[in-house]
Amino acid sequence: MSITGLGPHGERAVPAGQVTLSDADAEAARQRRFSVAIALHTTTSDWSREELAGMVMTLGRYGAAVVEVVDCGFDADRQVAALLRLAAEPVDAVVSIPIGSNRVSEAHRAISAAGKKLVLLDNAPTGMLPGADYVSVVSTDNFGLGEIGAELLSPHVPHGGTVGILAYGIDFFATHEREIAFRKWVNAHRPDLTLVRGKFPDVSQAGATTAELLASHPEISGMFAVWDVPAIAAVAAIRSAGRTIPVTTVDLGGEVAAELAKGGLVKGIAAQLPFDQGIAAGVATILGLLGREPPPWIALPGLPVTSDNVVQSHQLVWRAAAPPELIRARKLRGS
Amino acid sequence: MNRGDRANGADAARAVEPGSGRGRPGAAAQTSLTTLLNLVRTGAATTRQELERQSELGRAVVTDRLATLIRLGLVEEGELGQAIGGRAPRHVRFRTGAGTILAATIGHSSLAVGISDLSGRLLAEHHEAVDLAAGPDPVIERLSSLFTWMREEHGTETGVWGVGLAAPGPVHKPDDDRLFAPVLSAFQNWDGFPFVEALAQRTGAPVWVRSGVQTMTMGEFRSGSGIGVEDMIFVKLGRSIGAGVISEGRLHRGAQGAAGLIGYTAIDGESLEGIAGSEAIAREARQAAESGRSPYLAGVLARSGEVTVTDAGHGAQLGDGFCIELLARAGRAVGEALAPLANLLNPSLIVLGGSVAQTGDILLAAVREAVYRQSHPLVTRDLRIVRSQMSGSAGLVGAAQVVVEALFEPKFLQGWIALGSPREHPETRDFLTRAAEAVKRQPQRPRPPGQVVA
Repeated sequence: MSITGLGPHGERAVPAGQVTLSDADAEAARQRRFSVAIALHTTTSDWSREELAGMVMTLGRYGAAVVEVVDCGFDADRQVAALLRLAAEPVDAVVSIPIGSNRVSEAHRAISAAGKKLVLLDNAPTGMLPGADYVSVVSTDNFGLGEIGAELLSPHVPHGGTVGILAYGIDFFATHEREIAFRKWVNAHRPDLTLVRGKFPDVSQAGATTAELLASHPEISGMFAVWDVPAIAAVAAIRSAGRTIPVTTVDLGGEVAAELAKGGLVKGIAAQLPFDQGIAAGVATILGLLGREPPPWIALPGLPVTSDNVVQSHQLVWRAAAPPELIRARKLRGS
Repeated sequence: MNRGDRANGADAARAVEPGSGRGRPGAAAQTSLTTLLNLVRTGAATTRQELERQSELGRAVVTDRLATLIRLGLVEEGELGQAIGGRAPRHVRFRTGAGTILAATIGHSSLAVGISDLSGRLLAEHHEAVDLAAGPDPVIERLSSLFTWMREEHGTETGVWGVGLAAPGPVHKPDDDRLFAPVLSAFQNWDGFPFVEALAQRTGAPVWVRSGVQTMTMGEFRSGSGIGVEDMIFVKLGRSIGAGVISEGRLHRGAQGAAGLIGYTAIDGESLEGIAGSEAIAREARQAAESGRSPYLAGVLARSGEVTVTDAGHGAQLGDGFCIELLARAGRAVGEALAPLANLLNPSLIVLGGSVAQTGDILLAAVREAVYRQSHPLVTRDLRIVRSQMSGSAGLVGAAQVVVEALFEPKFLQGWIALGSPREHPETRDFLTRAAEAVKRQPQRPRPPGQVVA
């Protein structure tokens, strides 16, 4: 697993495993008893829970108290309000996953303008700069995730086929990178394929967008959804249309994993390791608070998941035994 | 030409008619339109009263020209301002969304693309690795498809007004002001390939090309530490070392466009690049890792199998004696090369960018010490020496800014303002015709491997 993407400003990735604290820094952090707030797009997804767990554990290990976790409910305005409030509160650092780009950049700047350290997950709003506006972006290699999505889909799409990309209609660096990389891989390795796209404005529209895409391009013979929740909506829409179309996506959510394991429409998943990403974000936050200037782009490679390794991947990603349906499917395949 | 441009173009003669006689706009009308647009665009004047005062044009002329600019879609009326005895003035503002600018940078191992409005502010950027050895065709293809994607995501209906391109190494400057497509001499074996022309043809817009360090300088000047500064030097410390000079608010390019190649400066018998370039530093760092002179770097080499300039920076921050001395030596060499420039140009700001500059404060301190030691006290009295905060975005921002400056340069602006869009400028059309011819003439032959020099 390698990191193929560059950072939001062209930075070479520093692998998360190489960003560490010395014993002296760890002790210095414990003495200073920092306080940290975390603002996530949601706290209810599996990804968020694991990300949060990694962060909270790491910050606790180095004596930092997590004094607030904000659930922004995918709402940029709510995030703006939360950040502006946190800028005036006695926290030393804020870890945030920006919801969108330009709409939330000023509110994020308010954190650093107030003298607090800002660590970003996944995404730096356009115009925000490392050092001046934030400490680090900690992210999975989203470019690599898109490439994995394309590579896993390719064997299931016939020569000369048409592939639909189910893209996110919000200006979001992480999903853009996945789409750009997916397209690049297809252009380079499967120039015979035609790419078409449907954009859903919010995740509740993903099914309808898929249905429209299928109606306007009935020749579609493969689909890539930029993350798992819209992928599941796409699977339902494909079934409703009475079609059988292979799908790949990003993130090893429970439903896509089950679909993959049972040999359903989902043929491959590019998984993230949110717990590990949370650990890296925690370490970067402590380094930033100590004035250690961690790398501006800290990244983790994506994990290719197929029906062959879905059980083991589940264990790796979610740090738990796979649910019974995954185990059963594995037994049925005799793997 | 898209619909918006055509509508504007057709409207042009009628639009300028009231102030310029019948038919074609007069030179005086074009001059006053240019003056007023640039006052509004730069924010120097945002009400009719301010425009009258600053342009020294009469009220009737200002009213007439503003109406024209509004009809052409270049200016729009905004909110009411503060009333100072009488009616509140209505603000006017430049329509930054009237056109789109595309920007691209090509480096030794990566490329980047961005899209901006007419203020030069990036709406989005994307960076990725590139293999230049595959030749120019895949690079053109890649830039085109990324531009297409970005325009679908962020573009306006008004079309692309210009493309800014940053190339590694110096870019030849023409003898006159005409739009022209330079040969990208930094790419060995791309000779004869009309890269700039092909990019112009793909985007349907003129392309302005500068060296990477010059666009980084422009980016830093307009959007980074250089905001509000008139005289500055930007130094890119990477695999190659180069400087960009802003003098009295303008980018200095030199007679051939090659100003700033300070990497060739000899310091103690060695080239500056040979001491402070990222490859030279990485080479020494690796030797120290292998010999065990640096325990920190030896650990890095054992863990990852390679040692980079970034590792040397981390080592220095963690107190590794070898890394500290390595970067201090590099910083002193850079400072010694910069001191004569500081004495010559008297800048108020020196910005250090590139991977070597990002290694931390030890290099920065050594640069400062050497510059201060060897410069006249008056030169260094208010001189700031800082690290760039713009990372790899400086070049993209600067490439967009190069286009903005070129589009609204008064002489060029006069050529299109009455037509509503630079796409209608006779020079633009001529440039695109020549570009199409050059692409057509392009020899159909396999592309030899491309290597980058400088």
